[in-house]
Amino acid sequence: MRVLEIENLGFSYEDGTVALKGLSLVLDEGEKVAVIGPNGAGKSTLLHLIAGFRMPFTGEVRVHGKRLDPRSAGAVRRDVGLLFQDPDDQLFMPTVEEDVAFGPVNLKLDDVEGRVAKAMRSAGVDEMAKRRPHRLSHGTKKRVAIAGILAMDPKVLLLDEPTSGLDPRSRAELISLLKGTKRTMLMATHDLDAVAEVADRVLILNISPVAEGRLGDIAGRGSVLEDAGLEPPQLTKVFKALEDKGFEVDRLPTTMDQAVAHLVRLLERQRRGE
Amino acid sequence: MIVAHVRGHRVMAEGLDEHAKSSWLSGLDARAKLIGILAFVVATSLLTETRLVLASLAFSVAFAALSQVPPGHLARAYLSALPFILIASVSVFLFAGYERGLDMWARTSSCVLALLVLASGTETFELFAGLRRLRMPAIITTLLMLTYKYILMMSEELSRMTVARKARGFAGGRSLLDRRGIKVISYTAGMVFVRSAERADRAFDALTARGFDKDMRGWRRSKIAAPELSFVAWFVTVSVILMLLQLGVSP
Repeated sequence: MRVLEIENLGFSYEDGTVALKGLSLVLDEGEKVAVIGPNGAGKSTLLHLIAGFRMPFTGEVRVHGKRLDPRSAGAVRRDVGLLFQDPDDQLFMPTVEEDVAFGPVNLKLDDVEGRVAKAMRSAGVDEMAKRRPHRLSHGTKKRVAIAGILAMDPKVLLLDEPTSGLDPRSRAELISLLKGTKRTMLMATHDLDAVAEVADRVLILNISPVAEGRLGDIAGRGSVLEDAGLEPPQLTKVFKALEDKGFEVDRLPTTMDQAVAHLVRLLERQRRGE
Repeated sequence: MIVAHVRGHRVMAEGLDEHAKSSWLSGLDARAKLIGILAFVVATSLLTETRLVLASLAFSVAFAALSQVPPGHLARAYLSALPFILIASVSVFLFAGYERGLDMWARTSSCVLALLVLASGTETFELFAGLRRLRMPAIITTLLMLTYKYILMMSEELSRMTVARKARGFAGGRSLLDRRGIKVISYTAGMVFVRSAERADRAFDALTARGFDKDMRGWRRSKIAAPELSFVAWFVTVSVILMLLQLGVSP
């Protein structure tokens, strides 16, 4: 089932700066797609357009079959959960549990208590229900912000730079949380290592769409990533270097599991003397 | 005012809730506190007899002492209100004499002290939520809540910019004759407003993204029970007695 449909989307700011042009994208239920691109490529603008904070100049957006327009923006927003880049922008209420309950209470959803408990458990913040959000670490704030979105039970999660500013441990915890969720997800990020772990496919955006597909396939296609101002994941770079040195690499790995499987194959071939 | 940590730096930020949990008042429903203390403030404002005004002040002082809010905190807060109290008292003193001026000082001090205990012994959001539950229009309580949030944001921005300024060796602005220092501080003030406005837009979008419809709703609602009723009863009784004595009704 199609959860998000974007067709020929275009947007310009008031000063005439073109932010997005000719973007089409479809997300099926449960699919995780990453939008990657350099700064100013229109990634955040895309998320804000889907959430109805700005209206597209051209094209259309449909969330769960509902067409986005100024009148339907409120209803569409019920189906999307937008995680802001800076959790300080998002966290508002005096305690963690009240902040997580903020969305369900506003939307008059049923069983607020149950939703809050479940969302806090999923995000791993259930033991800090009474804490003050502004006193938490940046990584924990991000998880509280995600809990606040999950409690609304949205059809699609929109994540703006979810791993930015996190220390390695918080980043790993967040990636594991995002990998574990079964929800449809559109994630705007620069973090290609996180993309490799979480996303089923990627869209490279540089105002207009540049390429779309599996990260490993795109990384193997010449300099597509570099041309878009992006760096391939470290693991992919290592295997590209091995490939350049004459080792046989069938498909460039992007995650640790894929890389280990490749290495094992290479070492076994070497042991057999192939 | 408290010292808070903003991204690892020890900086000043607004901290109205610093002592809220230290007082037994924090356990009471905000509506009961608002009704009781506002009744007392209204009654005190209407007093004209010096002995009754002084009795009201004594009651406020006793309430402050029993509230468990640290006296130092209340004294600092009272000192910041003192210039306004003095302006009113001195004006009355100049036009109506010593006794009326003293009445004015005692009356305003009594009201300010009671309100300071209310504000210090209640979390800010609870206070606003209490006002909303007492049917104050949503537009006013929402404005109060957003103002509170934006003040925190502005103080955070200011703190970050101050640290960044100091990190690059700026130590000026201590004298009005330091023209460069004044210029830098003026730019900082301008930037704080610009950056806070941008953050405020993002914060508002974030609220809207979670279904905010310009009415802040509380989640877990406390109930009016025996402690709340006895609190209201105490304050309303004292207010009524003061008013009856003021009207010349003998006990």
